[in-house]
Amino acid sequence: MIDLKELILSKDNLIPLLRKLKKDARLIAPIKNEYGDTLFSEIDDIDAMKIDLHNQPQASLKPFFLPQQETLAGYTVNNGEYSFTPPDKAQDTIFFGVRSCDLTALLYMDLIFSKPSKDATYYDRRNHSLIITLGCNQPFANCFCEATGSGPYLEYGYGLQFIDLGDRYFVSAGRGKGADLLKKWAYFFREVNEEDQKKRYQLFLEARGQFTRNIQVAHACQKLQEEAVPEEIWETLSRRCYDCGGCAYVCPTCTCYSIDDMAQGTNHGIRVRSWDACTSSGFTRMAGGHNPTDRSRYALKRRFLHKLKHDYAHHGKPSCTGCGRCVDICFGGVDITTFIDLLTTQKTT
Amino acid sequence: MTNSIAELEGADVLLVTGSNTTETHPQIGRNIITAVDHGAKLIVIDPRKTDIAKEAHIHLALRPGTDIALINAMMRIILDENLADDLFISMRTENFIALRDYLHRLDLDELATITGINRTTIHEAACLYARSSKSVICYCLGVTQHTCGTDNVQAVANLAMLTGNVEKKHSGVDPLRGQNNVQGACDMAALPAVLSGYQNLADIDVRNRFLAVWGREVPKAPGLSLTEMTHAGINGTIKAMFIMGENPVLSDPHLNRVENTLKHLPFLAVSDIFLTETAKLAHVVFPAASFAEKSGTVTNSERRVQLCHQAIPPIRNCKPDSEIIMQLGRRLNCPGMDFDTEAEIMEEISLLTPIYGGMHYDRLAKNWGLQWPCWNRDHPGTKFLHKYYFARGKGCFTITEHQEPYENPEKKYPFTLVTGRGSYHHYHTATMTRKSRRLLREYPEALLEINKEDSDKLNLRDGETVELASRRGTVHIKTKITDRVQPGTVFSSFHFFEVPINLLTLDAMDPKSKCPELKICSVNLRKVKHD
Amino acid sequence: MPDIMTICNYCGCGCGVYLRVEQNRVVGSYPSKNHPISRGNLCSKGWHLHEFIHSAERLTEPLLRKDGELRPVSWDEALDYTASALTETKEKFGTNAIGVLASAKCTNEENYLLQKLTRIGLGTNNIDHCARL
Repeated sequence: MIDLKELILSKDNLIPLLRKLKKDARLIAPIKNEYGDTLFSEIDDIDAMKIDLHNQPQASLKPFFLPQQETLAGYTVNNGEYSFTPPDKAQDTIFFGVRSCDLTALLYMDLIFSKPSKDATYYDRRNHSLIITLGCNQPFANCFCEATGSGPYLEYGYGLQFIDLGDRYFVSAGRGKGADLLKKWAYFFREVNEEDQKKRYQLFLEARGQFTRNIQVAHACQKLQEEAVPEEIWETLSRRCYDCGGCAYVCPTCTCYSIDDMAQGTNHGIRVRSWDACTSSGFTRMAGGHNPTDRSRYALKRRFLHKLKHDYAHHGKPSCTGCGRCVDICFGGVDITTFIDLLTTQKTT
Repeated sequence: MTNSIAELEGADVLLVTGSNTTETHPQIGRNIITAVDHGAKLIVIDPRKTDIAKEAHIHLALRPGTDIALINAMMRIILDENLADDLFISMRTENFIALRDYLHRLDLDELATITGINRTTIHEAACLYARSSKSVICYCLGVTQHTCGTDNVQAVANLAMLTGNVEKKHSGVDPLRGQNNVQGACDMAALPAVLSGYQNLADIDVRNRFLAVWGREVPKAPGLSLTEMTHAGINGTIKAMFIMGENPVLSDPHLNRVENTLKHLPFLAVSDIFLTETAKLAHVVFPAASFAEKSGTVTNSERRVQLCHQAIPPIRNCKPDSEIIMQLGRRLNCPGMDFDTEAEIMEEISLLTPIYGGMHYDRLAKNWGLQWPCWNRDHPGTKFLHKYYFARGKGCFTITEHQEPYENPEKKYPFTLVTGRGSYHHYHTATMTRKSRRLLREYPEALLEINKEDSDKLNLRDGETVELASRRGTVHIKTKITDRVQPGTVFSSFHFFEVPINLLTLDAMDPKSKCPELKICSVNLRKVKHD
Repeated sequence: MPDIMTICNYCGCGCGVYLRVEQNRVVGSYPSKNHPISRGNLCSKGWHLHEFIHSAERLTEPLLRKDGELRPVSWDEALDYTASALTETKEKFGTNAIGVLASAKCTNEENYLLQKLTRIGLGTNNIDHCARL
């Protein structure tokens, strides 16, 4: 009897395996499109679409679980009577090629959307999903998951975790659906031998040493627990925040949203949930016009403190997963790594 | 733009004038900020302390309307300091001697007084700009929306040529184009005095070429400009108008006149996606498809022609403007109104427009489009203009002289009103941005920026409503006390129909470009008494 | 359905934007990372680009003024009326009595067609747009 927790899949068998998986579920993987962008996309034709496991997918899994805009319900009024139409039900979906940081982010979202009660549409999608991760042997340019404790390989949370050993994948199964899958398609796999184990360990050590950016996340989290951030840091950051909201939108753990009711005619409308950002002033402005957050000084304070101070205090881990997506896209060059650098290089008085 | 947007990052010195870049051209602002972070020096000329001005190493907060005096002073300093590029001037330009002699006759102290900036600061900026061989100038409507707009642009060009900061990578003169396809609308000759690709309307060879393809002669007399049409009044020569996707009733200066003209037109047809203030005056309104419901090309600020792909079919009973125009054209017996696809229209455009000669859909689909001039199928497009030659041969220095704005503050109207796009979250008349809940939430109403010194004098609190009046009209508007504006100057935008700021503005315009002086008019403000 | 690449409809920067489509509704917009202008981010207007498309305030039927009010009519009626009004103006006041405004928000193809119609269909060079505003 072979151990079903860890197996080896020859690269030759990857497409045949995915072809089988696709029969029972929607299959989503990083695809490089005609514009050169790598995006998580649904695979219609597995032979025609090129799965890209060499570039970081531009967006995380967030849009699949918390879409940019989703209809929570439709409503119709007839003679004063309201009737509601529920949102579409989620389909069984397998995500392949998900990086460690993005799964860590999803586990964090599970937490956020479980309180006070389970968010219906989020958990509908989540319960119908299976995540197959790919450990990172080579971090991408702006990554720092090692510093946030969310990579490059994972210990738990995945359905299956793939590690690239060159001509083969070292596959580990998580609990539940992942293990079932391995059992069902066992004939594609072989047992793990000692050399596989050694190679996996060796690659893990090497991967940890390959990060190009040294971001002092733990130091920053610690420092935030102990002392207040100097005012001039907030002011420097705010001056350069041009209010695009991009950092929050590309962030796999930013979960701010707003709900709007939108009329679609005289007797019909939809209730829509869409992404929002705590960095924008309208987010915190109260009905009377008072705004507790002065954007000119504290535009980014809420976002950075939530990620690095409050979540660290509550969960023992920052909710930044080091994916690096917000790095290099900031119009003013003041992403979370700028903040951490400013904070940790500051002399303690 | 003569350069490409990406080139800005490689410049050593960036001079930004009359552009609130981080709000109105965020991506170009991003390049400028990156350049600064990589060590480039930034000079900003703007009466307002905009976000980009806050990043400047030197902010020249001039008195509105004194750009020419400032640039002349800079050029004089460059000559005095021997920083002019003599080789470039002798090889590539003409009429330098006249400019030099003129500049030598000017008094620097007098120029500094006109601009309201001290001589030392101007000196510093001039030397900074001239000492680098990778200096680039970005300008926007803050330079052009003046009665002396053309001269302002000429002055900027003089400055660039004097220091040889043109014709090469990372250095040039870059007008930032406002709307997503304002460059394209100009290229396509939605202009009264040229044919597509800026071809001469009077040139016999050009006319014959169009006659051959179009099958009908193009009228000889140049047409009327926008303001000439919309300001004609009740008894103007224009009796019927067709307006596609524009809202002059909110965007044009001296609105009373515009509304008066359009309201009394015997016939007005408007094609738009929303019932705009202009559409409300029409006899016929066509429901147009939005950008997401059609395909076609648009040309950005760096002359890049890019494909837009249709995402959804036109909603309800809407039609794309191309379809509306062709159906109307066929009813008017206009030849050549039977294109099957956008690609086929582009084929005719490339046939008649040399700078679009190589723009074919199959090529545009690759490599993010092509930058004009692109003369033929094999041409790779042009990243920066004026390489080896200016459009007219040699660059010509033209003397420009300071002239006072059409209106200056006086006792009855002691403040200067500057208008522009006031919010990062809105666009132009906000026809589209106001329909987005999030954007409207971020900037829900019109605001008048006023300096604390002035608000104290008038005993105004932040957020208090004032009556703002010029010789032409009056609006009520909420104030926002800020150090972004200098004392004596107030600023607002034209985004909100509830506060049609263009009721106040001037229709005095630049005689050459016909660009109205939207940046300066004299106003008075008065506290509104509450009952 | 894969997301559709288009160019942002707001400013002259010209960002490459993907529109996310579900059941013929545009429900999202996000930047292209590889596009030379957008480079993985959009401004606030770009991120909310999809929001006005399905606004309940969109014009959805041709309108014709009857008894002082704009009323919904068929395309044929609206177009026929326009064509005859323009023809009548031409006959009564000459071709230069007609003025046309094109749009910096419309495509090159549409602007090209409109100036062509103006120049040889209506017979005037009275065409302009808001380039200076």
